[in-house]
Amino acid sequence: MILELKNIDKSFGEKQVLKGVSFTAESGKAFGLLGRNGAGKTTTIRILMNVFPANGGEVLVDGKPIDYNKIGFGYLPEERGLYPKKLIIDQLVYFAELKGVAHRDAVKAVDYWLERLGMSEYRNKRLDTLSKGNQQKIQLITALAHDPQIVILDEPFSGLDPVNAMLLKDVVKEQIAKGKIVLFSSHQMSYIEEFCDSIAIINAGKVVLHGDLHDIKRNYVRDRLVVNTTKPEQIQTDFGSACTVTDNGSLLIQLASPDYKKTAMKRLVENYDIDEVKVFEPSLNDIFVEYAGEQV
Amino acid sequence: MKQFGTILKFELKGYLKNKVFVGITLFLVIAIAVAMFIPNIASLFKSEDGEADAADIPVMLVYAEDSELSALVKQYFDEAFSEYKVKVADGTVEEVKKQITSGSAECAFVMDGADSYTYYVNNLSMYDSNTEIANTVLQEVYRVTAMVQYGMTPEQADNIMSAQIESYTTTLGKDQMQNFFYTYIMIFALYMVILLYGQMVATNVATEKSSRAMEVLVTSAKPTSMMFGKVLASCLAGLIQLVAVFGSALVFYNINKSAWGDNMIIESIFNIPVTLFVYMLVFFILGFLMYAFMFGAIGSTASKLEDINTSVMPVTFLFIIAFIVVMASMASGNIDNTVMKVCSYVPFTSPMAMFTRICMSTVAPYEIAASIAILVGTTVGVGLIAAKIYRVGVLLYGTTPKIGSIIKTVWKA
Repeated sequence: MILELKNIDKSFGEKQVLKGVSFTAESGKAFGLLGRNGAGKTTTIRILMNVFPANGGEVLVDGKPIDYNKIGFGYLPEERGLYPKKLIIDQLVYFAELKGVAHRDAVKAVDYWLERLGMSEYRNKRLDTLSKGNQQKIQLITALAHDPQIVILDEPFSGLDPVNAMLLKDVVKEQIAKGKIVLFSSHQMSYIEEFCDSIAIINAGKVVLHGDLHDIKRNYVRDRLVVNTTKPEQIQTDFGSACTVTDNGSLLIQLASPDYKKTAMKRLVENYDIDEVKVFEPSLNDIFVEYAGEQV
Repeated sequence: MKQFGTILKFELKGYLKNKVFVGITLFLVIAIAVAMFIPNIASLFKSEDGEADAADIPVMLVYAEDSELSALVKQYFDEAFSEYKVKVADGTVEEVKKQITSGSAECAFVMDGADSYTYYVNNLSMYDSNTEIANTVLQEVYRVTAMVQYGMTPEQADNIMSAQIESYTTTLGKDQMQNFFYTYIMIFALYMVILLYGQMVATNVATEKSSRAMEVLVTSAKPTSMMFGKVLASCLAGLIQLVAVFGSALVFYNINKSAWGDNMIIESIFNIPVTLFVYMLVFFILGFLMYAFMFGAIGSTASKLEDINTSVMPVTFLFIIAFIVVMASMASGNIDNTVMKVCSYVPFTSPMAMFTRICMSTVAPYEIAASIAILVGTTVGVGLIAAKIYRVGVLLYGTTPKIGSIIKTVWKA
């Protein structure tokens, strides 16, 4: 199954929030939707979920306009919240039933997920007696219990401790392995980097970068060298403004062109006392800062 | 449809599990039970103190300079004031006054002549009608005395005075008196239930919005299913509560039936004709649903739970005006005035106005049918619009949206 957004436009009053957003996501792969605060991630997701209509563009599944009655969605909204005063089992079963699951199956599925997420002891408790992180796990069940084909998780890791984050990672991997489309939105790059096969970066309502994460990294201009040394002073004076110090103490040398890579490496190894020299590979974080950092 | 059922079940369960809801219903049932047992409880006390009561009969004094006059007045007053022990006072007027202030007598008639007297009483009660009774009696005494003076025998005079006009009333339409009480109860119940439950529906929607459960809900269920499910659940909860209260009233009434004797009010309430009962249900349900939809839609546009009270004000006012118009017409006895006629077709007032007219006046069947048809159409229309407003309203966070922008968005949606 291929989910495709094509030229989505959306305005709220005078303000145009989305300007022709397009991207595709495939079954069995995780897709990361990145962007700074207010870039339009949540609006994009809400349009995808048919919370409100787009002003222009279309949402396609395998090339045809999406039929919301047929495609099962699981959704963990960024604005978390269920019924605080109701029993957990009651509301989880209710949400699964709303998605068309029969009552008995809904109870079974909810019990499975409570067990899976280590929440069985809270089954018959009221939601507002739980901590924020545990409430979030409960809400995750509303997105998964009805076994949807497309799972959309808006900032799923925010508020989870490392153990729960691990648990969530396993669950997400499991969903991907089951051949579902998992769509993430986040600005925590490390998680996206860990799961997502392809990404789209949205900045000020436009997709500024879209594609396979490995390809993006490979195609990134290889014109910087990372140098680890115990005596950085000499290199710094010799390379002047081309040489900067990174946060972890390594030197970063900007080359005029990727073509000089070999010559520069040779020169460094021969003339200075160096522990390590390698071509700079950008992290998703660096890519994000570069693409989403520019204000439009 | 399946979704609608799921929502209805969930919401109804929410009401029935609500401790406040259960508590209020139980309280009302107990209150009704106590009220229905009152005559039995009262008779229990009466039988014990029955004999002691004789001493407590208040004393009424009659005083006149002319002892013949005082004896004559006493004779007539004995008959007219059966709840008093009438005594002829001796001594002076001052002594009579003293007896009243000291409490040994409750009141006194000091006769200045056959056609003039002064009434002495310590505390004049709001409902004291002794002087009116005395006037009638004394008028009779005066006339009889006069007739005797003109040569009639006392028997002849008495016969003339006691001549009675026989009259019969046959009601061809409705007896307003008899229908007044259950009309009154129904209008009041409708008023209370709509305001209470309307507020509950509005709060329910606003709570979902403020707890952000909304975003999961609108992506899971159709807004029409949500709106109709919620409102019908509240309507069912309301009916369950009413059935519990009035049902227990009926049960307890039947248990105590003999003790109530022939209390006209109570009897007229429990002997409501079946057709009127059916009309009551129809107007009740339709009116309830229409207002509940409006309250629900308003709840969805409120950005904070605290705003609900001010947001629902326009609907509440509309409803209170309808209530006042109907109540005022009922009290005036002029049920078929122009305002009521108009109100019985306007859907926002017709549940109360038309029902009142059916109960207390004669309304042609086609008029009732027209009124119900308009009400059904409006209720469905309001429901559908409310669902749209709900869909748009629930995702508007932050500032309360302007009415204009809501209408625009709803129009587009």
